[in-house]
Amino acid sequence: MLDHILYAFSDVFAVWNLALMTIGVTAGLIAGAIPGFTIAMAIVLTLPFTFGLSPVEGLATMIGVFVGGLSGGLMSGMLTGIPGTPSSIATTFDGFPLARGGKPGFALGLGVWSSFFGGLISAVLLVTLAPSLAVIGLEFGPWDYFSLVLFALTITASLSGENLMKGMIAGALGLFIGTVGEDEVNGVARFTFGIDDLESGFSFLPVLIGLFAFSQLLSDIQDRVKAREPLMDLSGTDGRVRVEHLAAIRTIFSRWTNLVRSSLIGVFTGVLPAAGGSISNILAYDQAKKASKTPEKFGTGIPDGIIAPESSNNATAGGALITMMALGIPGDIVTAVMLGALLIHNVQPSPTFISDNPDLAYAIFIAFFLAHFIMIAMQSVTLKLFLLVTRIPMYVLAAVILAYCAIGVFALNNIVYDIWVLFFFGVAGYILRLLGFPLAPIILGVVLGHVAELNLSRALSIDSDLMLFLSRPWSLFFLVVAAFSIAFPWYQKLRGTQSWTLAYVPALLAGVAVPMFMMEGVVRPIIGVALLAVSAYLLWRSAKAGWKVAPEGDHEVHLEET
Amino acid sequence: MGRLNRDTLIALVLLVFCGVMFSASFEIEVTNYGTMQSSVWPQVVLVVLTVFSLGLLGQSIVKPRTVEASAEAVPGGLGRFRNALIVYALFFLFLLSLDLLGMLLGGIGFVFLALTLLGEPSLKRVPLHLLIAVAMVGIMWSIFTFGLGVLLPDGELLQLN
Repeated sequence: MLDHILYAFSDVFAVWNLALMTIGVTAGLIAGAIPGFTIAMAIVLTLPFTFGLSPVEGLATMIGVFVGGLSGGLMSGMLTGIPGTPSSIATTFDGFPLARGGKPGFALGLGVWSSFFGGLISAVLLVTLAPSLAVIGLEFGPWDYFSLVLFALTITASLSGENLMKGMIAGALGLFIGTVGEDEVNGVARFTFGIDDLESGFSFLPVLIGLFAFSQLLSDIQDRVKAREPLMDLSGTDGRVRVEHLAAIRTIFSRWTNLVRSSLIGVFTGVLPAAGGSISNILAYDQAKKASKTPEKFGTGIPDGIIAPESSNNATAGGALITMMALGIPGDIVTAVMLGALLIHNVQPSPTFISDNPDLAYAIFIAFFLAHFIMIAMQSVTLKLFLLVTRIPMYVLAAVILAYCAIGVFALNNIVYDIWVLFFFGVAGYILRLLGFPLAPIILGVVLGHVAELNLSRALSIDSDLMLFLSRPWSLFFLVVAAFSIAFPWYQKLRGTQSWTLAYVPALLAGVAVPMFMMEGVVRPIIGVALLAVSAYLLWRSAKAGWKVAPEGDHEVHLEET
Repeated sequence: MGRLNRDTLIALVLLVFCGVMFSASFEIEVTNYGTMQSSVWPQVVLVVLTVFSLGLLGQSIVKPRTVEASAEAVPGGLGRFRNALIVYALFFLFLLSLDLLGMLLGGIGFVFLALTLLGEPSLKRVPLHLLIAVAMVGIMWSIFTFGLGVLLPDGELLQLN
């Protein structure tokens, strides 16, 4: 193991790789700082550059973009009140008032260092948890994988906010897009309608860039006047902002419980398939407010309101990487793209990924660690550059980026057909966006569709008995969680206002306890007993309180996938 | 078009799409190997899509007000899509002219025209837009061609590879 770690160290710390990571972090910081320019989009645009690189170099660069993007989102959130990425929505609640209150340097310092520490906590968990999770993953058969993918798909739809039905339709559309072309199992052409080009199906990258980047850019320049305006108005800050590092670090250490709690929320959310930083930052903010002795001060510009979302969104990255590496299931849209990148480099993440590719796996761990140190350095050094980029009118950025998209997409297979696919999905994404369809479920559908079909086929070829999906413990576990995740939006909306919501968590705990009893060994049944005990306690507590609920509409935080 | 009509229309279009594709799924070759036929998974997906589309149809009829329009939609006629239509038209032309112009000239042309049509309509900005187009596309073309060794398409007008 030590050999592999040392080898990975030498790979990651190579000068060329360090340069690539620095460029990646800087690109991520810039992308994160630009409102409307998501991290997923930045990763997608980076992907073509990694074709000519080794897997370690390519992955390290993308991890740099990932970490940089998560931290860069706080820039615009704090300076303008517009979150650069959905991962920084909650950061604006207190970051913007604090910056506007004359302390932009302190606010940025809190954000930057919270991101750093949150990321480090997550990196430690990544190193310690990923191998264990991989061992559990070895128990998975095709039935369990299929149910896991089903869970991933349901949680995506359930996170579609008010557009639940449209989110589910989007997910199904993504699955359908994945069926076009020759299927992986029998090699038979499907839905090609006699068009030769369609036999190879739709490559992941053109679909991704078309749906996300193309349609997003056109949405950003839709307004004729706004398209010609600079991205940000920094008149309030005079363009002179200096990060207050020491004061920020002292403040964060004095609130270490908030930091640790928020980081753990971030890791947990990241591990869940499809639940990314856009959810974790709001959850962490909500929990920090609930735990605070002065919750009424939240929203006025207090440090706790910045520490919570910023540490949690960076921690989410580590959690998402755990699931991607150990199970081959993307934790969020960004890791879905990274999963695609691994596949392009002929690396298939799976439970045996860490044991089969230890050099690459440890290189990813180390790169994730290192990216946070580079992020701190680059955040401080290139602050002025970010301010310059954010002064460029949106229409200039859009035109140039679209040209880059075409070049990048062509580089994938060296065929012009891919640029046509980009164009087609650019149009489709724009229309779907206008019609209120969330686009993230489509991407996850495209990525997960192949995995689902492959495992369903494998499962049926081993045994055609469909009851195995219910009788195998891990499969049942994921199906139970999937069922509850479908009901989650209603629970979230009505929590504490309807009596059934009081039984939601106890029912979930009891539900997942059942497959725990079916599993081998001693530990898991004991966990099952503990879950049942907690479930019974929660029910008893609610019964003792007379199943009291608050009036409808009394919600502190409303989560909505952006 | 009202929200009720719009979502109802979307659902109907989706249902027609599902019907056409479901019909097409019966044309998929049947093999005598493999346990699961190639048409099974697409049919499962189409059934799921049909169910959700019916759900959207029902929702648009029963609770039309709960279906929110995209926040990005702005009032106005077709003019509100002016910028998007310009970009799509230019990108389409860029693709059509790729054989003639190649990636470098075509890319420069696309960026220049997009900047000129989307930006402020003044003559003094034209040189600036041209400079941006040449510099940005040129840099990216050079990175891919010389740095990453990707042979980007050459046009009939200018052959550099």
